Amino acid sequence: MPIISVSNLKKSYGELDVLKGISLDINKNDVVAIIGPSGSGKSTLLRSLIHLEEIDGGTIQINDESLVEKGIYAKPQEIKQITSKMGMVFQHFDLFPHLTVSGNLEIAPKLAKKEPMSKIKARSEELLEKVGLTKWKNAYPANLSGGQKQRVAIARALMMEPEILLFDEPTSALDPELTGEVLEVMKNLAKEKMTMVVVTHEMGFAQEVATKAIFMDNGEVVESGNAKALFENPQFDRTKAFLKRSLK
Amino acid sequence: MSSEYIITLLKPMLEGAQTTILLFIIAIVLSIPLGFLLTLAVNSKVKILSYLAHGYIYVMRGTPLLLQLLFICFGLPMIPGVGEYLVLDRFVAATLGFVLNYAAYFAEIFRGGLLSIDKGQYEASKVLGMTKWQSLTRIIVPQMIRIALPAVANESITLVKDTALLYAVAVPELLHFAQTAVNRDFTIVPFFIAAIIYLVMTLVLSLFFKYLERKFKFE
Repeated sequence: MPIISVSNLKKSYGELDVLKGISLDINKNDVVAIIGPSGSGKSTLLRSLIHLEEIDGGTIQINDESLVEKGIYAKPQEIKQITSKMGMVFQHFDLFPHLTVSGNLEIAPKLAKKEPMSKIKARSEELLEKVGLTKWKNAYPANLSGGQKQRVAIARALMMEPEILLFDEPTSALDPELTGEVLEVMKNLAKEKMTMVVVTHEMGFAQEVATKAIFMDNGEVVESGNAKALFENPQFDRTKAFLKRSLK
Repeated sequence: MSSEYIITLLKPMLEGAQTTILLFIIAIVLSIPLGFLLTLAVNSKVKILSYLAHGYIYVMRGTPLLLQLLFICFGLPMIPGVGEYLVLDRFVAATLGFVLNYAAYFAEIFRGGLLSIDKGQYEASKVLGMTKWQSLTRIIVPQMIRIALPAVANESITLVKDTALLYAVAVPELLHFAQTAVNRDFTIVPFFIAAIIYLVMTLVLSLFFKYLERKFKFE
């Protein structure tokens, strides 16, 4: 049973159809790379999964529960509960600048989950250790490098103990020499069998870590399947042309 | 110019300054929250609320504060039928005028602060499961305060000086006592003393806001 199931998802901004009937299934423990040229709708698709975009038609099921069924959304309380199984990491980190690194990690569990502080503290220490930022726990985001910020953002998402982690171009805003440290953290998550959906331009990462790849172009899924197969033996001309451009 | 004369001058002027400070404190304490509520109203999805708030801000910013004060103190009691119930204590009426006027300016300052907050902040709090209220109070407002602080400081200093408008509605305050002494004793010394007292008040305020800006630096 897929953990994320999307069928016939449609979304348009006025006259412009950005998603033209997308269908896809993602299984537990999959690491899915969504690739494709800019403007192909990858980010919109990802954002729809966690209800940052409202779709116009189609169905999105998370863990067999319908976030939206044939264009009809669940009730707000159900939406909140369904999307709470997912965490998200943004291109521009979107850390809370007025909170320290620990503050960024601890605020959501404190407010949204109302967990005891001792439990939250223990988990934030553990996650900061995991992303290698224990030393920086009292620093403010303004004093971190881009790579450090993104690692904090990943730890912050993990604080809510999601079953699925969504990444929206997590390394696109980073200087090339800083992408490595972020990709390293993501690789480790993949090893721990975290289910991940990653919109990315990092073809190297996609090839190395992804179990499944989805190639999108112009609001459609052109080709999807086993990542290795898609990269090594693309079936469609559009995929071939894109990979040729991206892999040189 | 004897120091004795200055001391006799200082007594009423410092009393006047008390009125000035009292007005300042009440006006700040009430107009800042009211201004924030206006900002929320302006940004509200309820169209009618947003229009009303826009209209209110337009009128309050578009007419002189002095006119508003005169209207509340002398105009309201002249309204046929209800006027007799609208005769307020002069200080209370003037304070009301300051609160209503400054709220409009603070609303615009806060709106500017909110505009400069990246939408990613709302999205990040949403995907982390915070409610809209939690995200507003714990994520958005603290950042808005930091952004708005210099403008709020500016507006507060203007308020200190605007309290002199009490003179026009005959509430005795600092400037009133200075002017009285100038007329009575035919000397400009009271004006200098008044200026110094205003400068001390604005200096204290500037230092306070500098302190707040340091505290809200987040680095």
